[in-house]
Amino acid sequence: MAFLSEPTKAAPAVGDGASAVPSSWQVWRYRLKVASREPTTLIGVLTALLFTYLIVVPIISIVLDAVRVQFGHERRLGKDFGDLTLYYLDRTFTSPVSVDLFWRPLFNTLSVAVGAILLSLLIGTTLAWLISRTDMFGRRWFATALIVPYMLPAWTFALAWTTLFKNRTVGGQPGWFEALGWTPPDWVAYGRFPITIILALHYTPFVILLFGSALRRFDSQLEDSARILGAKRYQVAMQIILPLMRPALMSSMILIFAKCLGEFGVPYVLGLPVKFEVLSTSLFRSIASRQTGVAGVVAASIMLIGIITLMIDARLVREARRFVTIGSKGSMNRQSRLGKLRLPATGFAATIFMLSVGLPLLTLFLSTIMKLPAQFTLDNFTLDYWIGRDLHTVALQTGVLLSPDLWAAAKNTLMIVGLASVASGILGLLVGYVVIRTPVRALSVYLRQVTFLPYLVPGIAFAAAYLSLFAVPRGPMPALYGTVTILVLALMADQMPYASRAGISAMTQLGKDPEEAAQIAGAGWFRRMMSIVIPIQKGSLVTGVLLPFISGIKGLSLFVILAVPSTDVLTTYSLRLVDYHYTQAANAVVLIIAAIAYLGTLAAQKLTKTNLAEGLGS
Amino acid sequence: MPTINLRGAQKNYGVNSANAVSNLDLEIRDGEFMCLLGPSGCGKTTTLRMIAGLENLSGGEIRIGDRVVDSIFDGVFVPPEKREMGLVFQSYALWPHLTIERNTDFGLRLRKLPKAEREARVEKVMQALDIAKYRDRYPSQLSGGQQQRVALARMLAVNPGVLLLDEPLSNLDARLRLEMRAELKRLHKEFKTTIVFVTHDQWEAMTLATTIAVMNEGTLQQMGTPNDIYDRPANRFVAEFVGSPPINILSFDKKDTSDVAKEAETYLSSRYPSLRGIGSVGIRPEALSYATKKEDVPQGSFSGKMVVTGILPTGGSWILELRSDSHTLFLTTHALPRLELGEKVRFFAPPDALHVFDKDGQRITEADKLLRSAKLN
Repeated sequence: MAFLSEPTKAAPAVGDGASAVPSSWQVWRYRLKVASREPTTLIGVLTALLFTYLIVVPIISIVLDAVRVQFGHERRLGKDFGDLTLYYLDRTFTSPVSVDLFWRPLFNTLSVAVGAILLSLLIGTTLAWLISRTDMFGRRWFATALIVPYMLPAWTFALAWTTLFKNRTVGGQPGWFEALGWTPPDWVAYGRFPITIILALHYTPFVILLFGSALRRFDSQLEDSARILGAKRYQVAMQIILPLMRPALMSSMILIFAKCLGEFGVPYVLGLPVKFEVLSTSLFRSIASRQTGVAGVVAASIMLIGIITLMIDARLVREARRFVTIGSKGSMNRQSRLGKLRLPATGFAATIFMLSVGLPLLTLFLSTIMKLPAQFTLDNFTLDYWIGRDLHTVALQTGVLLSPDLWAAAKNTLMIVGLASVASGILGLLVGYVVIRTPVRALSVYLRQVTFLPYLVPGIAFAAAYLSLFAVPRGPMPALYGTVTILVLALMADQMPYASRAGISAMTQLGKDPEEAAQIAGAGWFRRMMSIVIPIQKGSLVTGVLLPFISGIKGLSLFVILAVPSTDVLTTYSLRLVDYHYTQAANAVVLIIAAIAYLGTLAAQKLTKTNLAEGLGS
Repeated sequence: MPTINLRGAQKNYGVNSANAVSNLDLEIRDGEFMCLLGPSGCGKTTTLRMIAGLENLSGGEIRIGDRVVDSIFDGVFVPPEKREMGLVFQSYALWPHLTIERNTDFGLRLRKLPKAEREARVEKVMQALDIAKYRDRYPSQLSGGQQQRVALARMLAVNPGVLLLDEPLSNLDARLRLEMRAELKRLHKEFKTTIVFVTHDQWEAMTLATTIAVMNEGTLQQMGTPNDIYDRPANRFVAEFVGSPPINILSFDKKDTSDVAKEAETYLSSRYPSLRGIGSVGIRPEALSYATKKEDVPQGSFSGKMVVTGILPTGGSWILELRSDSHTLFLTTHALPRLELGEKVRFFAPPDALHVFDKDGQRITEADKLLRSAKLN
């Protein structure tokens, strides 16, 4: 960059000139000079273009699908392919089938979400309080153990539930209770009730993490001051603690809602047998039946609800900042003595742990080594489903570990998810760098927002958007449906919110100083990146790769729409096994996924010495 | 290092925001130890960062000698890595992943010096700053004072023409701060570098600087030697900012004139009828004396009667708080005051101890001559 540095030159007569107002041309020339000095802005522009293509364009494409005549409907609508039409909006929102397409799924989604929120708040706040502010036995252990449900894929629980409660409504191997002679009624086995329970248990860790950390940060002195002024315990709770905790509560409620909105696996497994549809399964059905236009409308609606919800959350978080109490020295928290309730409280926590981790995992595991359900005799146990050969089944004649399909799926998973998470980790750090460093503020704001956008869009809607854009060749881009590329791209874009957030926060924490010090010492941009920024950010780069990897491994909604048999990943593979009623094999695959996700999370935590709370939402 | 020259330098962050620095003219000569002094947010750090090239200008230009390094008019911007300066950050900004030796070595490696010379220079500065024994440690293993030395050593190793220091002592405890002050003064002599030092601590500025530039709200208030700044503050801001306890200000505001201020007004207008447009008068606490008897008040001095309302020992000296009906004065004395609270005393000050400011708060320099000659009478 030698040409940019100005050689010594004779001083022109500046004198008064310096205090004169520069012309706008001079200002622009100067700014250009400053900006072009470093590749930061160039990199920013390139990444901004990339993400516009990978995130914004697919979303626009699916919204356009919703209002344009789709292939095959030209005759019926008397218009040409691609013309504007209100037909799909009308069909989804007002026609006689709209109840099945949209309104009932919407109602079901909302009712399930509200139920799950209430239940998880009830359990979660209690547990958070027990863990962080009381002398319950084994608090430390519970603090980690009760988060485990969140590390496992949600539909692990759904499969465990069917293993236990499946009744004669559906074919295939019966559930344990059915086998024991008690037929669970449909409302217990399928639909709203189990979905609500499972989502509640799965998202309770959200509440424990968010509410718990707010509780821990809560300064006991605030409580003490009220007590000293004569407030009773319940008055302290109602007038001091609760108002200050409200932001954390609201925030966890909204996060759970947003997550429930995009949840696909659980309602798919448990809702299908009784035709209990939520928005995500309705969208899936529209896509599966090639109702592209209707799918566009439903996907856009899901996005809109997601965006509104998270905007509310952003606003709450802003307001919550007013509540940030700066209590560094005195912010010790005091423990309440539980007294006689100490044992029952511990029992409660243990029960929740058993229900949300122990029982489902144990059920799944037992189911994979038992020939007939719920028959606990020695001859009924077998390892055939894992490592058997020459089984007398139509397909899958070996144990799942010996099946080439599993290994193909595992290989695909590692390749697709690995590639996507490495890419998103690196891009995340780059985005973080540009966002924090570029002098062009508009670029910084745009990059920050565009990489956050997929967060507002539930995975299933995002997958639908990708399908809409990349299913057919457009311009120089060939049709990507059925390729590994589309999965990698979609997964990468879907993970960008976490990756870029990690990058931005890492760069914010790093601050400008170390880099500026290197600059003063004479280091150019490239040198600063290689010997200062990247070495210091090693840890967060690892997190930025690992977290997307874990969430990608257990992710289902993206793959279920975009994967085809040749690009099978573990999740879709197990889902297909579910569809074919190979219960044991399906459960075995799910256990493998759960193990990878769990161990991966632990490894990430160990490696980076970070708390799970930071990776929340991934 | 040739002279550094800021002309009409200006900085704002965004079109609609107020200027962080406006129309600043500053000249830093070779070998100078200059302090930029001012309250927080006055633009002193921004000025320092503009000199280093870490901030670009919004107006004006910066030259080093004859070379323009930053100018909107000429479309010139020399990046920091090419300005050959040293900057010690307030946070020290040591690279956490490098050892002390590698931190110190960093700039020399970039300059591709032969290994032997690099080692010799690193050794020299590490010895000079007494950090050689920590060479293999990482920054997080050092105390604040040690980190501070490393930050200095890192910059001194490349032997910069000018060393910029951004409040480098503010994170140290009182004792270490004193030691480091002496250290800085010694380094200034030993390495013969020009030093620009940003601080909000007036004592630091007074004890270290050869020149002080006092800034407020982005503009330069006064530039001069420490004595100039203290003895002849150019305006009320400088007078009030420098000095502790702060200077006593008697304001002649029509609405808000206190009884003591009225006396000062009478005193000045009766003796120096040529003085016009006086807005206020300042008297430093140590320029005030007190007497219990009227006879002890010297002829021709400005004096008045007040009540002792506070005697505050500060170790070796005492601050007296004196009150009248509508004014409070502070007075510093080095002799044990044998006074009771509530006792009536007379304060007095020689005429040349009065700092006279006009209604805009600017020093009236003609008054200085008049008041000084008055003493001879």
